[in-house]
Amino acid sequence: MAKSEVAVAGVGLSKHVSKRRDVNIAELVWEAVSACYENAGLKPKDIDAFITGNMPAFEGVNLPEEWGAGHWGAYGKPLLRITTGGTTGGSVAHGGYYAVASGLYDTVLAIAFEKQSDGNSTAGLNTVAIADAAAQFALGVDPAFLAAFGGGAVGVAVYQASSYMKSSGCTTQHLDKVAALCRNNAALNPYSHLKQPGLTPEEVAKTVLLQHPIRFGHVCPATDGACAMLFTTGEKARRLVDKPAYVLSVASCSDEAAMVGIAGSGTTNVDPCTQESCKIAAARAYELAGIKDPRKEIDLAEPYAPFAHQMLMFYERLLLCDEGEAPAILDSGSMNLDGELPVCPSGGVISTNAIGASAMERVAECAQQIMGRCGERQVKKEVHKAVAHGWGGAVNLNVVAVLSDTPRR
Amino acid sequence: MEYKNETVSIEGGWPMEHWQWKFESLALIRKTLEALREKKLLGLKCPGCGLVYFMPKPYCRCLSIPDEWVEVKDTGTVTTYTFTGAWAYEGIADEGPAGTPLIIVGIVLDGTDTMTVCTLSDAKPEDVSVGMRIRLQWPENPEGKLEDLAYCVPL
Amino acid sequence: MDKEVAIIGYAQTPYEADAEASREMQVLEVTKAALAAAGLKREQLDTVITANNDYLDGRTISNMRLVEPSGAWQKNESKVEMDGAYAALYALMRILSGDHGIAMVVGESQASVYGGYIPGTMMLDPTFDRQRGLLNEVSASALQARAYMNACGVSEEQLAGVAAKNLANAAKNPLALRADGKADVKKVLSSRLLYSPIRELMASPLCDGACAVVLASGKVAAKSGNPVWIKGVGFSHDSYLSERSLAEMSSLKDAARRCYAMAGIEDPASQLDLAEVHECFAHEELMAYEALGLCAAGEGGAFFDSGTTSMDGSLPVNASGGALAANVACAAGLARIIEAAMQIRGEAGDHQVKGVRTAVAHGQTGICAQENIIYVLGGE
Repeated sequence: MAKSEVAVAGVGLSKHVSKRRDVNIAELVWEAVSACYENAGLKPKDIDAFITGNMPAFEGVNLPEEWGAGHWGAYGKPLLRITTGGTTGGSVAHGGYYAVASGLYDTVLAIAFEKQSDGNSTAGLNTVAIADAAAQFALGVDPAFLAAFGGGAVGVAVYQASSYMKSSGCTTQHLDKVAALCRNNAALNPYSHLKQPGLTPEEVAKTVLLQHPIRFGHVCPATDGACAMLFTTGEKARRLVDKPAYVLSVASCSDEAAMVGIAGSGTTNVDPCTQESCKIAAARAYELAGIKDPRKEIDLAEPYAPFAHQMLMFYERLLLCDEGEAPAILDSGSMNLDGELPVCPSGGVISTNAIGASAMERVAECAQQIMGRCGERQVKKEVHKAVAHGWGGAVNLNVVAVLSDTPRR
Repeated sequence: MEYKNETVSIEGGWPMEHWQWKFESLALIRKTLEALREKKLLGLKCPGCGLVYFMPKPYCRCLSIPDEWVEVKDTGTVTTYTFTGAWAYEGIADEGPAGTPLIIVGIVLDGTDTMTVCTLSDAKPEDVSVGMRIRLQWPENPEGKLEDLAYCVPL
Repeated sequence: MDKEVAIIGYAQTPYEADAEASREMQVLEVTKAALAAAGLKREQLDTVITANNDYLDGRTISNMRLVEPSGAWQKNESKVEMDGAYAALYALMRILSGDHGIAMVVGESQASVYGGYIPGTMMLDPTFDRQRGLLNEVSASALQARAYMNACGVSEEQLAGVAAKNLANAAKNPLALRADGKADVKKVLSSRLLYSPIRELMASPLCDGACAVVLASGKVAAKSGNPVWIKGVGFSHDSYLSERSLAEMSSLKDAARRCYAMAGIEDPASQLDLAEVHECFAHEELMAYEALGLCAAGEGGAFFDSGTTSMDGSLPVNASGGALAANVACAAGLARIIEAAMQIRGEAGDHQVKGVRTAVAHGQTGICAQENIIYVLGGE
């Protein structure tokens, strides 16, 4: 049991678009950080510690906070850098939780960001596999032979999508529907990247097939953006804001690294849609949060879904329904903004993907929905408990956080 | 002061050629590849938990070191698949798939616990499914290369 | 902090210029050894924190391949992209939160893989310093050394003296990469000049290696054989190298202030028995004496000359040889924690200092020691 109640008292987001050539990394981050200071009513001098992270291969800069943190008010303060690939933002938020829960720091600013346009995104992603590919070249493998198996632009997601569709009965129409739902939600979110108001599943179905079963319309964009969250004790949060969002629990689970087509992987990819580590992380988080029946107790979910099938797959892996039930739940309308358990009200990662920030933005959306600060995309039902998720690594890392409008116990 | 009217982009790079990675897996994989010449499939078994890795892996999740070579069968099960074609590499076209689709399957060979990828031949995209049984299609004269494992056929 | 979290096991690889094993196998080795030392099984771990860097590994998500070797399979795992001493901090936070009882902390990198000082230059401000090509980890530190020497009247001989002391200490540490029982000022001053005033033996050798520490909550630790308690921790992030005075380590001073307040240290020179300092270059050890409050500001050189910090002095510093003997990026600070714990437990073998009850361990990240963290450790 945490020493301190932990709460979110502020959230800040930068503008999210594909290319922010008008600002550098530190300035982009400042947009999120200054918004967070403002809506929590604090100044840099009030912060006890900073947690930060991004996925540095995308910018081509090692430890950007070395010269950037002064712009955020972090010089002369404790600062911890946490980076875990696609889950980075979630891991940074978890760091914010632990820093406060430990009793060591009262007021902690967690910052996650990515400025993909500063680098070459495909090159950035390739660096995930480059060392392993180098090993295969050393064995005399033809690069074209490797490329064919890698899954091309959409990587391992195609394999995961086909195994998920087989096991759940999810159809390509469901994928189109997920994309339409998310992009319509994104249209109501001033901080989202791809806004497509009125987009229909039929229009998504007409986009180009990248690699079976994934179409262009099922895939996230590459985004520049930053997110900042203020974590503090419950007591201080109640003084700062009318309605803080409490962090009930965080949990992560890491499985064996698994790269499709690359030797030396473990069992994680035998069926890439199993995502056992997501189920374990979710079960741990619910247990710590004192949640016995997530299906009844969770009011809102922000799964990490850069690809359409993942919204449904992770809904199941977050233990919000039985395996194979998510497509029918989508059809029922329950996942809509006015549904029983709205999913990806922010528009999700499929609409906005500033990689290092994405997993934090899931936590941020849950917090803002609980705080009632979501404007047009505020869900209809009252949100008491929400679950935020992040996914990454070589399909092997999952992070989960549970937030609530009331403190733990 | 208004300073955001003009920005400059500066070139930079990540000189990857300076990194020299080390892999125990290379030596292990070479042994497996060498055995392909005799149409033998060698997996590596973990003494701690009994998992059989194909391709071989130098360390196990249970903190033991897999060290027992075991011969595995050339039959197996499809756990996932995709198909691809020229359209996936030549950008985005309106008129859908071009050429003959290449069917890529993730397979777990009988007697092993890990997945490897392979091309499914003698089948159409609509025939492939998760759970289908396959057999590796050996080349006439295997050369001890990863390409020897390029094809499988429905069983 | 009073008996809340303790070190209950640790392990280090030997430090080598070009290890035979890959990073994964080195991590596997120290993970197993640290678990054995703590008398634990992998299943008993609650959380695993690794310290590594995507640029050092040459592959983004550098923790991804360490899940299995670090014992983190299906565990609550995360990565700190700084020195391992910061990974220990994150593990400490996790245990203090009450959500976790036992943590594995691993730090690793292999200089033979990452190609020398390239990852360091990629830490520079990309719009200016990186473009000009004048600064790297060594040249920037040379500027810092000169600024410090100038401000505090420190001589090249004194820098060489620090290196000679540490290399001689390292001769008794079987894991050290660079060691020389006969090192003296003359020998150090006749080694190759890198960037004036820094000579080869005043600069830490880049090397390969890994180390691991098992941390446990008070309840678990009390039942273990010989816990070394974490009494205090402090860390701080300094301004970028061109935006601060290079003549002092202000963030280490700030870290020490925070740490000593937590540990109840009022007079470090008399209350501490030993210090393990992460000195990437010889001058940093002298600057650390001042920042850690072992002597007055500006007195680092004279304090060294007094012999207080040598093996037979009243406050030996870097009995292990410190980072001048072996400096694995992302592991060297965690190794300082291990060395300090080893001294407190009386397990340091030939380089054991008598009667160490309370020790300070230091880690750093960034060019010119921009980010610093310190711990005060103590026995029963």
